[in-house]
Amino acid sequence: MSTPWNGTAGGGAPTPVPPAAPEWRRLSPRTLLVHCGWLGAPLGSLALTALATGGRITGGAWLTLAAIAAVFAVVATAGWIRWARTDFRVTGESLEVRSGLVTRRSRSVPLHRIRTVDLTASPLHRLLGVTVLRAGTAGSGEGGGELSLEALPVAEGERLRAELLARAATGAVAEDPVLARISWRWLRYAPLTFWVVGGVFVAGGSVYRALHEIGIEPWKIGFVRRAFEEFGNGMLWLTVPAALLAVIALGSVGAVVLYVENWWNYRLEWADAGTLRVHRGLLTTRSVTIERARLRGVLLREPLLLRAGGGALVRAVASGLGNKEENRKRSGLLPPAPRREAVRVAGGTLRSPFPDSPVTVRQDLQGRHLARHPRVALRRRRVRGLLFAVLPGTALLAGLGAAFTPVLLHAAWIYAVVTTPVVLWLARDAYRNLGHGIVGEHLVARSGTFSRDTLALRREAVAAWTFSTSPFTRRAGLVTLTAAVAAGEEGYRIPDLAEGVAPAFAATATPGILDEFLTHPARNSGPTAAT
Amino acid sequence: MPEHAAPLLRPPRHRVDPRARAWWRLQALLTLSGPMLLTALVLAVLSLLFFPGALPWLGPLLLVALVLPAIGYLVAMPRMRYAVHAWELGERAVYAAGGWFWQKRRIAPLSRVQTVDTVRGPIQRRYGLATVTVTTASTAGDIKIAGLSDADAEELSRRIGEVAQDVPGDAA
Repeated sequence: MSTPWNGTAGGGAPTPVPPAAPEWRRLSPRTLLVHCGWLGAPLGSLALTALATGGRITGGAWLTLAAIAAVFAVVATAGWIRWARTDFRVTGESLEVRSGLVTRRSRSVPLHRIRTVDLTASPLHRLLGVTVLRAGTAGSGEGGGELSLEALPVAEGERLRAELLARAATGAVAEDPVLARISWRWLRYAPLTFWVVGGVFVAGGSVYRALHEIGIEPWKIGFVRRAFEEFGNGMLWLTVPAALLAVIALGSVGAVVLYVENWWNYRLEWADAGTLRVHRGLLTTRSVTIERARLRGVLLREPLLLRAGGGALVRAVASGLGNKEENRKRSGLLPPAPRREAVRVAGGTLRSPFPDSPVTVRQDLQGRHLARHPRVALRRRRVRGLLFAVLPGTALLAGLGAAFTPVLLHAAWIYAVVTTPVVLWLARDAYRNLGHGIVGEHLVARSGTFSRDTLALRREAVAAWTFSTSPFTRRAGLVTLTAAVAAGEEGYRIPDLAEGVAPAFAATATPGILDEFLTHPARNSGPTAAT
Repeated sequence: MPEHAAPLLRPPRHRVDPRARAWWRLQALLTLSGPMLLTALVLAVLSLLFFPGALPWLGPLLLVALVLPAIGYLVAMPRMRYAVHAWELGERAVYAAGGWFWQKRRIAPLSRVQTVDTVRGPIQRRYGLATVTVTTASTAGDIKIAGLSDADAEELSRRIGEVAQDVPGDAA
């Protein structure tokens, strides 16, 4: 507060007021109410005490009230002075802020140095319709390089941000730097995750373990045992669906709570032209900054349920996000959200339209379609499903049925009849999801049925190519290609490509690496000559 | 990607040292075949001593479940590996093939090579063999060439070091 002129930039002398200087603008008077926000907690507790004692306010309470009043007077006066003595304006080339009661402090930041403009609003701010604006400058250190205005009406804040960034020169993002914000309508996607059922069992398991640790056996508690006995004796056709419904309801609530905790205040934005920032979290707030140079690609994930509900989520493929588990936590760019929103965010992250192309027989050059994988891949998926899902269960039930009771024999054929169409459907879905292509600077691969993942990877990020085969795929003429990347999951698989297509695909995606190891069979000799 | 001129990936030029077969055979004996054969032997002897009546069905069972797979693995694995394992140092990339049942061919550009490790295990040393591991920034991109002769391994790691220096790249 001692230096009267604190020009952050090397702007030199204080800018003389230009002839057509805009007027000085005030902060929102509602800021004064924000300053009273802290009163909530003590007054609330006092009210509770009063309620508990039946309206009688004791001497101690009077004392507290007096103290609160005194502090309030001081804080409110200070706040009022700060509000009354702070004003700002945007001149042709800089943002100027004046503040201070005795020592007038003026700061001026050239617009071209402003790299980030951050609008933050706490719940109280939101209630009052105001927001805090922070302008970050290039090379800003701790606090020094930041100008903050507390607080502006939301509309004015947005306008001012646009004003500040529009005039910013190269380096700052020309368009709206915010790629996505939380929309609470997305909450409807929260129950469409694993946590709906899995979470209940995980939670139940940990409660059981905790009780077990402190020496309580839940089975021995009277009402638990009685409940279970009644459950067993009751009408099972009614109680089993009811229990299932209860689990789903409980899981949905848990999923929603988790969603809110994880994605509260979520914001994805370009902090500047080279830095992507994700901000989110209610109790645990996360702010992840990803340098654009370290961003190798984007993964659009559509888990089965979420896909059925028309949703998707987005992850970054970036280096420097920690080990695999940390990477899973930090790489989230978008929570489960409408698919169109996910595609938009993925495109905004790549800075080119996300190649969300349907899979057809062959890729076209504009990347409107991804190339389909050979039909043998479908047979492989069917055989695998039947072999690993249908056969073991059926064989087990049939074996037990033959040995013990004919009821299980019926269970065996019912199991086979029910699972076969499901497996065949999943196999078909898995096959239809398989696709690959090259779109501009990115190679695109899609696969998976339980989670359909569409990967867009920067072509120059591929650190190695692996061609994997097994005796089965060799006979079928297929090969699985793995792109090694120094980011994310490290290896990204493109399963079951035709062996005649895979080398060409890898060679086209990363020119120069494979060429010397390729043989060009004579023309018209067929694409899949035996090696 | 014109279909009739689709290029194919040829195997790498150089095979590994023929002594690698003996090394793999010994490895198989120590890790899988040996224990399986030993188990079969012990069970057969025990059954002979205490339950001679079980031999008619236990004998064939042991033969099918333990002895034949063990011998099959011992005989087939080293041969198939030797047919597959190969390596090549190109102008701009390292190329290696490996595996026997599940086979892998991996290609990493020299511009991405970070380190070259040569490891000689105790058994490998007996046969004068070495394993060269070429690491890249991605753990899914490490190239492992097992069963090289000592001289080849040294030569290879020296040349990769040289070439990797000449090829411009950030190894990132």
